[in-house]
Amino acid sequence: MRIALIDYGAGNLRSAGRALQEAGGSPVVVTDPAGLRGADAIVVPGVGAFAPAMARLAAARLVEPLRDAARSGVPLVGICLGMQLLFEDSEEGEPAPGLSLLAGRVVRLPAGVKIPHMGWNTLEVRTPDAIFDGLPEAPYVYFVHSYVVAPVDPRAVLAETVYGSRFPAVVRQGTVWGLQFHPEKSSRIGAVLLRNLLAQIAALRSPA
Amino acid sequence: MIIYPAIDLMSDSAVRLRQGDPGRRIAVGDDPVALARRWAAEGARWLHLVDLDGAMAGAPRHLDLVRRICGAVSIPVQVGGGLRTVADLRAIFEAGAARAILGTAAVAGDLLPEAIAQFGDGIAVALDARGDLVAIEGWQQTSAVPVLEAARSMAKAGVARFIYTDVSRDGMLAGPNLAGLASLIAEVPVPVILSGGIATPDDLRAAAAAGAEGAVVGRALYDGRIRLDEALRAVTGAS
Repeated sequence: MRIALIDYGAGNLRSAGRALQEAGGSPVVVTDPAGLRGADAIVVPGVGAFAPAMARLAAARLVEPLRDAARSGVPLVGICLGMQLLFEDSEEGEPAPGLSLLAGRVVRLPAGVKIPHMGWNTLEVRTPDAIFDGLPEAPYVYFVHSYVVAPVDPRAVLAETVYGSRFPAVVRQGTVWGLQFHPEKSSRIGAVLLRNLLAQIAALRSPA
Repeated sequence: MIIYPAIDLMSDSAVRLRQGDPGRRIAVGDDPVALARRWAAEGARWLHLVDLDGAMAGAPRHLDLVRRICGAVSIPVQVGGGLRTVADLRAIFEAGAARAILGTAAVAGDLLPEAIAQFGDGIAVALDARGDLVAIEGWQQTSAVPVLEAARSMAKAGVARFIYTDVSRDGMLAGPNLAGLASLIAEVPVPVILSGGIATPDDLRAAAAAGAEGAVVGRALYDGRIRLDEALRAVTGAS
């Protein structure tokens, strides 16, 4: 499966690429719209701040092509900041529109907990889904973030995590997925999630 | 409690030192990347990486190796050794570290406020003790600063996490300094990771019972006194 791994300067590109490869995918680093052609799936990794990330996607002329690809049904997965970019806008820094593939915005974690949230926390599954196949009860995954998503449609939330507040850890709407944690740094649990995700995507693209 | 398998880098291979003395090193494997993969595959949730050449030199010496290790494993890695400037910290985070460990520089220099302002929770301070005093310069010297006094003032300055090592115990398998650990935990309101001297699963249980957030395990893993799966079972939970 050819996976367009979007390179817009995010720090976790290498490890995300390795993890996708280990999950059975063939990630190809993509820096321009031409790179999206022929992709079976798109992964937007992410470490950093919302507005600069959107600015870098815009500078690479990737914003509209990413929207078009996702809307035409190419499976798209956002990781951490990449998940947040799927939404309409963010409280973080300068106002900037996101990719707006999912309705809702990105809000800061509440005061009273240490921010950024860096560490291992458990996933609480809200909506049973094949992405969770084979996981133990309350699996631990690794987070690094200061902001969380607030989707308009609660049905988009597949799993949540509690840190300061209860927030979405896995979202899905159609063929757009978002993971707030870093599966590429979440050890075996992360590997299982990515394998399940790629299997789902493969099944979508070649219906039995 | 989190178990941090330790990998110490020296001349591009992984070693364990006794009491931090480069003349008393024990090779544990030629390929630190393979070691890192091994610990990750066996279920570790974090790795503890120390650039020993960097610690001796006062500047990072193995950035490429750190980059290769961080890129090779699917778990976060904390890295220390020779980090003395904001540029060093940037470089280590750029290389893929999830957390940077400041030692000498934090105690003796003026890096700490700037490091905390820029990297916040990404910074941990290694409180290296020889007895009640802070050990500095790759552990080859002892300062006149009491450990608890240093810890108090650094916690006040915003240090999010300490890694406490009694240098006289490190690499000696003589058991950790649990009394020192307990007084540090009582002294500061931030998480403390214990390092040095851990030789048995009971040491790990004792560290967890004392309230340590984590424990760095080195030599005991390499000579088989502690098996990682056993250690992980001994102390469940995570943060």
